[in-house]
Amino acid sequence: MAKNVLLVDDSSTMRKIISRSLRQAGLDFGEIYEAGDGQEALAVLEKESIDIVLSDINMPNMNGIEFLREKGNRPGIKDIPVFMISTETGEDIIGEAKSLGAIGALKKPFTPDKVNEVLGPLM
Amino acid sequence: MVFFTLRWNWNVDRLREHVEFILPTESSFLELEQFLIDATMEVFNSMVFIEVVPETSGKTEVLAVDTNLISCIGLAGDLKGVVAIHCPAAVALEITGAMLGMDIEELGEDCKDAIGEITNMVAGGLKTALAPFGSNVELAIPVTVIGSSFRISGLASATRVFVPFGTPCGRFGVELKYIFS
Repeated sequence: MAKNVLLVDDSSTMRKIISRSLRQAGLDFGEIYEAGDGQEALAVLEKESIDIVLSDINMPNMNGIEFLREKGNRPGIKDIPVFMISTETGEDIIGEAKSLGAIGALKKPFTPDKVNEVLGPLM
Repeated sequence: MVFFTLRWNWNVDRLREHVEFILPTESSFLELEQFLIDATMEVFNSMVFIEVVPETSGKTEVLAVDTNLISCIGLAGDLKGVVAIHCPAAVALEITGAMLGMDIEELGEDCKDAIGEITNMVAGGLKTALAPFGSNVELAIPVTVIGSSFRISGLASATRVFVPFGTPCGRFGVELKYIFS
């Protein structure tokens, strides 16, 4: 069954690029939902049936790390997998994200081929 | 923060005599300039798909790009300052259109968002390039403004790196103003 995806990024341009990359990669997914920060993402997760979250780290209001921490405290959504897509590549911050449940990370900028290679197995 | 080069098999005393400190010196300026160029090229080659060519640069060069849109991101940590991208309207429209895969006719929110994200990725590339040297750089959220005759002031003792890039639709500039702490 095709998976519903939630894209979390404060840049609408980046959300469009990721969405387009998923389509260009020919990956099998269902609906694509969008959120501009961690707070909006939590609201979408509580309301919609989401199978996987692709999230930025540096965002206003609630960043990706805070989002992971808050999501982990909510029983109904805590097990939904989150994959980080960010300019942040430091072992400390990626390590913190993984310790909070992130299942992987993709560095920006990326090519459509890289999206296919990294996200394909998750879809 | 200090960068240094060392040679194989040197003991500590000899090392102390010969450690070549390269920051803050002219060579560090050139390395940062190259990091900035590499980060910009990576973003354009991966996600914008517009051919860009870095042009002659220099830290005392007066801003030589007409600017209708500027996007800035603050740097903190070992490298304090700002990374900024200066774009004339035609270039901002072309870059945004290429990123979104559609024609963009107005210098508005789409352009602010797209150039802001490029600035974010260029600053991220600079951070990644400095990480192997033990330098920790924190990035703020980018801010983008539309207008004209911009100049970044403040950071009185900061060093300025400015790299113009040529594109088929005109030139844009990538600027780094920094202080090492």
